[in-house]
Amino acid sequence: MKRRDLLAGLAGLPLTALLPRIALAAGGGGTVTAVAATETPVLLAFVNTSSTIWSAKTTEGLLEFDHDLTPRPLLAAEWDVAEDGLTYTFRLRQGVKWHDGNDFTADDVTFSLETMKRLHPRNRSTFAHITAFEAPDPHTVILRLEKPTPFLLTALSSGESPIVPKHLYAEDADPLTHPNNTAPIGTGPYVFKEWVRGSHLIFDRNPNYWDADLPRVDRLVVRFITDAAARTIAFETGDVDIGVRTPVPFRDLEGLEDLEHIVLEPQGYTYSPPNITIVEANLRDPILSDLRVRQAIAHSIDREALAKIVFYGRATPSASAVVPYHKDFHLADPSPYALDLGAAKALLAEAGHPDGVTLTLDYTSEDQRLVGEFLRASLSRAGIALELRGQDMGTLIARIYGDQAYQLHLASISNLFDPQVGVQRLYWSKNIIKGVAFSNGTGYQNPEVDALLEAAATSTDRAARIEAWHEVQRIVARDVPNFPLVAPTWLTIANTRIEGHTSGAEGAYDGSLRRLAVRA
Amino acid sequence: MTVIDHPLRARPKRRPLRDPFLLLPLLVLLAVAVMAISAPWLFPGDPLDMVAMPYLWPLDDPAFPLGTDSLGRDLTAGLFHGARATLLVGISSAALCLGFGTLIGAAAGYLGGRTDLILMRVTEIFQTMPTMLLVIVLLAISDPSLTLIVVAIGLASWPMVARLARAEFITLRHRDFVLAARALGYGPFRIVFIEILPNALPTLIVATSVLIANGILIESAVSFLNLGDANTVTWGSLIGAGRTQIRTEWYLSAIPGIAIILTVLAVNFLGDRLTRILNPRLRA
Amino acid sequence: MIRRAALHAIPTMVGVVIVSFLMLHLMPGDAVDALAGISGGASAETVAAMRSAYGLDDPLGVQLARYAAGVFTLDFGHSISYGAPVFDVIVDRLPATLLLAATAFTIALVIGVAAGWAMAVFADRWQDRTLSAGVLFLYSAPSFWVGLMAIVVFSAKLNLFPLGGAETIGADLTGWALVADRLHHLILPASALAAFFVAIYARLTRAAMLEVLHQDFIRTARAKGLHPLRLQFRHGLRNALIPVVTMAGLHFGNLVGGAVVVETVFNWPGLGRLTMGALASRDISVLLGILLMTSVVVIAANILIDWLVARLDPRVSA
Repeated sequence: MKRRDLLAGLAGLPLTALLPRIALAAGGGGTVTAVAATETPVLLAFVNTSSTIWSAKTTEGLLEFDHDLTPRPLLAAEWDVAEDGLTYTFRLRQGVKWHDGNDFTADDVTFSLETMKRLHPRNRSTFAHITAFEAPDPHTVILRLEKPTPFLLTALSSGESPIVPKHLYAEDADPLTHPNNTAPIGTGPYVFKEWVRGSHLIFDRNPNYWDADLPRVDRLVVRFITDAAARTIAFETGDVDIGVRTPVPFRDLEGLEDLEHIVLEPQGYTYSPPNITIVEANLRDPILSDLRVRQAIAHSIDREALAKIVFYGRATPSASAVVPYHKDFHLADPSPYALDLGAAKALLAEAGHPDGVTLTLDYTSEDQRLVGEFLRASLSRAGIALELRGQDMGTLIARIYGDQAYQLHLASISNLFDPQVGVQRLYWSKNIIKGVAFSNGTGYQNPEVDALLEAAATSTDRAARIEAWHEVQRIVARDVPNFPLVAPTWLTIANTRIEGHTSGAEGAYDGSLRRLAVRA
Repeated sequence: MTVIDHPLRARPKRRPLRDPFLLLPLLVLLAVAVMAISAPWLFPGDPLDMVAMPYLWPLDDPAFPLGTDSLGRDLTAGLFHGARATLLVGISSAALCLGFGTLIGAAAGYLGGRTDLILMRVTEIFQTMPTMLLVIVLLAISDPSLTLIVVAIGLASWPMVARLARAEFITLRHRDFVLAARALGYGPFRIVFIEILPNALPTLIVATSVLIANGILIESAVSFLNLGDANTVTWGSLIGAGRTQIRTEWYLSAIPGIAIILTVLAVNFLGDRLTRILNPRLRA
Repeated sequence: MIRRAALHAIPTMVGVVIVSFLMLHLMPGDAVDALAGISGGASAETVAAMRSAYGLDDPLGVQLARYAAGVFTLDFGHSISYGAPVFDVIVDRLPATLLLAATAFTIALVIGVAAGWAMAVFADRWQDRTLSAGVLFLYSAPSFWVGLMAIVVFSAKLNLFPLGGAETIGADLTGWALVADRLHHLILPASALAAFFVAIYARLTRAAMLEVLHQDFIRTARAKGLHPLRLQFRHGLRNALIPVVTMAGLHFGNLVGGAVVVETVFNWPGLGRLTMGALASRDISVLLGILLMTSVVVIAANILIDWLVARLDPRVSA
């Protein structure tokens, strides 16, 4: 706590004491242009988690994280977690102001966390065990839990649990349609300026940011470029400076890598590691309910070839849905059903399909289509004919999770900061909920797996949690309700004229970019 | 679309096959038809299967004369199989339009009065909504398949035929031979289909060429936007698939695009010539 | 006359509302499904609560009535995926599409009429044949393909034009610099969109000119010794323009539809990209709004064109 105390102290110092440091850090200035393929529905991830990417730039959370997920102070200057994991105490940073000039207080924090417990798609369950949100004084917040939640602290990032200004939300305001969603007011380093839909976003430097040294750029522009090839060219010509999560076709990375003015930054993806590309089987389907058919499919998948051909080698094959980026939790064992077309055909024949089977593979989005086409070509060699069915997200979700009328589903599942939040939903039988997207869509039920998951969810012993998760991965690898394939490599592409974009686990995607600067 | 005749253009020769503007488009269309028919024999495998090294350029490997794409799929096979889908969509959507549009137009033109008013109002509704938007929305309603694309194009493009047919029927229903048929006590069914329709045919046949060309163009745009059926190769889907590599492997988008242009060009040339042969009224 | 045309348009609009509403409600899944999907999972209670908050669980008739009532007060509902009123979302994008369509329309009209005129003047000579072939080529090329190839040649290889977008973002340009910047971004997409329509107008103009040039009053004028160029301008072109302009009205819808595709190629921030986005997020209220607003634009364009025709041709203004 020593370092935190020091920081907390600094935050409380009068501004004049910091002046020499301002002089040192100032200069910089300039405009940084980021690129994004698509537009998020809103700009705030408060109750809409599809809108994380720009949220933290204006609206901060209590904590930020080192590359190894060690928490660092942000709006919380220091904190304490009781031994039993049931009480969390946060001392808030003082002198923080909202973009509209109001003071940031503990009431804002309790309001935000309570609202998210009601409406945030994930924090509904992450905060489920919190029974009380207390603000004993304007700079202290206490959370009381009925059961431990080992990943609670990690969930308090800017992207996952943004703190919004309570005074803007009237008693009866609906957070789902609140104007603050599209023109957010936060405590963050950048102030929202304009959003021209379909074109661009502009954020300006927050001149009253609580860290007087920061931010160091005057303006952050976001351009929406839907065409992938055009994004590559924009990097080449220097029209854009930064893009996250490999914003160009994998094909183009080699060319970009050779350019003097471009860096490919692999760091900054420990908070939200790359999604797992996965095929899920509907276990309610008469053909796929037969384990032998699923084993046959597993025997005909060549993950290395997929990574090499479709992702140009920029993907990590993974037979587990817990991606290798979760170093401790990931089980590196290969699939028990290795690539073997003979075995696949034999299993199919044994299951009563000597002439092969025809299965439908549902997917959405253009990137998935190529994976689907690769799978169709590979599986056809084992006598499994895949019919691809592309659709928009709404149709897909209605089909897979609503009607549960599908056979195979090609998905990209985010792991998030803890497998309990990202991966558990795929295998926990209580997550078989009709109509809820990206839950347990296969209908997989295994009491042994349920018990292991539930124990890990409330355990404060990290080693025990890791062991439980390894066991879960061994069991589901045998049962094959789904076929994890690869985790595509996520890279931040940046122009060398900027720096400070990747300063922790959250990187430029989940992070606030508050240390971003144009090189002198 | 509109068909505009060139009244002063040289008359078609007496032996049409000597006319290069008739012969050349016929040859192109014949070639496309041969490609479509021969595809399953010349390229028996799935045109979407990975058969070779990715990104072979045209002429790099004699086995794959037009090269391969990012997954190592044979572009030549894709082009041949794509010809099937392209022709199929072009012809069937035109047939659908023609059938439905003529029916509506004939009813409106022949019956006149309130029927005419109502039918033309409905036509107007569909004509007001931009065709491409209408097709996109219709495709979003259900799973993409070639049939759905045909139906969507048909539904979005019939108003043009209905208006043409209506105009023809209005002109023709007061002609002597119709009045004579009516005097002879023929039923309306016989008058419409046996007496009037054959006389309206030249106009409708010329419209067909426009409909086919249009159907092919809309289908290619829809597939390009990735709204098509992922299990069928069409020329539009080939262009769309090559789009991300447009700067490096531009042949992936250029070649199928040229195929579309040649085919549509041939259909249009043919339509132009047919206008002159079939529609003597328009001749100078 | 304009008032009568506007009155005539009302039942058409009602028809468009009903047809598009019914069509879009045939779709499986709704915006709440899509929203829950991109959020990476939501609980059943959240989904149900959202659905009832947006009135998506009401009977179809109730939803239609509520929608139709809203349309007449320009309330097109709330876009779930954009978190804003549908009307605002669309009005944000409409100017970009109108600018693109209007520019393409102008290019097509000017070049098309000029080419058609030249073709008529040189009828059946080599100039006519060459131009006719060129025009037929434009008539046969998919606009998105023309756009893609234009990007390869003029943007990627020659670096003459920007790759896409509508302006240099964040440059804070003003005055002529702003206009020049906008034009620079506009030329390629507008030309790609115009190509097809150049062909239509050229063919129309040619046919109309030939017809007009053989009418009696022209022969009389020629006999009177009027200079051929002046004759063609004063009498020929003016009369030939009537069918061209009439057809242009009918084609305006196609022009807007074509813009949808061209916009995706050129990253143009208009209704086309909004359509694709709304489709992906199954935002039915936005899709409905787009169909409706473009229909309004088409009707308005037609009324305007009727008026223009009346001005051009005194015979019509009865």
